Amino acid sequence: MSAENPAAPTVTESAAPRSAAPMWIIVVTLLLLFLGGYYFDQHSGWFNAKVYAPYANAEKLNSFQPQSGETQRIARGKFVYDSVCGICHGADGLGKPGQAPPLAASEMVICKGVSRLAHIPLAGLNGPIKVCGKDWSLSMAAMGAALPDEDVAAVLTYIRTSWGNQAGPVTADDVKKVRADMGRNAPALTGVQLLNLPE
Amino acid sequence: MRTGICIFMAAFIALGASWCGFVLAPMLQLGGAKQTVILQSADNWPQQRTGEATLGLQVYRAYGCAACHTEQVRQTGAAFEVTLTSLGTQKAADFKDFIKSLMVVPDLATSSNSIVGSLDKWNGELPKTLYSGDDGDVASALADHLKPVGVKTETRIIATGPDIARGWGSRQSVAADYLYDAPVQLGSLRAGPDLANIGVRAPDANWQWQHLYAPKSTTPNSTMPSFKFLFEVRAVGAAPSPDALKLAGAFAPAAGFEVVPKPEAKELAAYLLSLKANVPLYEAPFTPVTLAK
Repeated sequence: MSAENPAAPTVTESAAPRSAAPMWIIVVTLLLLFLGGYYFDQHSGWFNAKVYAPYANAEKLNSFQPQSGETQRIARGKFVYDSVCGICHGADGLGKPGQAPPLAASEMVICKGVSRLAHIPLAGLNGPIKVCGKDWSLSMAAMGAALPDEDVAAVLTYIRTSWGNQAGPVTADDVKKVRADMGRNAPALTGVQLLNLPE
Repeated sequence: MRTGICIFMAAFIALGASWCGFVLAPMLQLGGAKQTVILQSADNWPQQRTGEATLGLQVYRAYGCAACHTEQVRQTGAAFEVTLTSLGTQKAADFKDFIKSLMVVPDLATSSNSIVGSLDKWNGELPKTLYSGDDGDVASALADHLKPVGVKTETRIIATGPDIARGWGSRQSVAADYLYDAPVQLGSLRAGPDLANIGVRAPDANWQWQHLYAPKSTTPNSTMPSFKFLFEVRAVGAAPSPDALKLAGAFAPAAGFEVVPKPEAKELAAYLLSLKANVPLYEAPFTPVTLAK
């Protein structure tokens, strides 16, 4: 309007002053951003494909995983035994003539210490040996060498507590220690070497 | 011209942002999904369907089953449950006192009110849930403290929510459940029940056929339409078909006739029986009842 009538400069609209946004809007915006970030952090699971509500994050989800107790270790041991050892030693642990000596009531299995026993699956065993009063002369490959410590421990625990055997459990640390003592690619043991090892 | 470029850029950014959100991000998150291992087992989940069931998915799709049925179980919470299963040689009253004396233990202090409170009106019947809550440390501490006194407890992880209370599953549905579904038949409306574990709830193919042929024969109040055209009513030949529907009363065909499913009905039922989301996974843990025994 003022441009059409230069004679009346008094009615010229003054430009709105460029004032800063009110402080409270800035504070509220920052607060909302902060709360949004906090909510995202608490509830998003950080885009983890495995985390679904109501589990807020991977940590919470992990706390709901079944505990790995002794029973679970033995169940795992049975699984490993059936797939690796049971083919020769038999699902009943009684061994098979001409194939593998028994594990049930075997003095090698139910002995007090676990180091000597752990050497057998980790290194393998060759040649004559006496088990349960019978002479055996066979060859066992290092069946446990490729298995993780936990699985070797689980399977040894399984054979020490099954078929009437009542010996203590084997821990993954025991297996780890034996593996470290043995070194890599250790040759298969003979029966005499095995018996010379400390229990 | 400048305006044209601005409009193009604005449209490009708007479409690009939604493409990133709806296509790219889910692809990055779940595009590489593979079979997962069932918790505490060496088996994989899910298993590829049989050929018949794979065809059944297309039948399910063709007849619009997903318009009235969902295949997604929701879960609103998860809890640890410590259940007393045997008192051994203990007496119920002594056990109550023992539990009260336990509550000074620091691990249990936070939940002592609910544990003691749950025993107030208890007069010895078993099994008795001692603790139900989302704190795994409290649950394991309680179980550890009760082990040496000769009582037997069982700690279970349970999924909770209205869908689970209805018996539609033991846990929520997760992406892994749909690995072999193409297209995924999630559904969005529940005129009928959820079908995520119908293969567990109704594992009998003949029941599924009867339900498709005459829904009211198996579920009296069903509002489902009948899919009679998937079946053939024919005269009984030299011997009755092993697939003949076991219909009774008003639903049974005339004497000398039998109702047999056409291939499509068999495929659809095979697909329904393949819906068995009942195994615990890392992303949806729970303790199956069979394992806890």
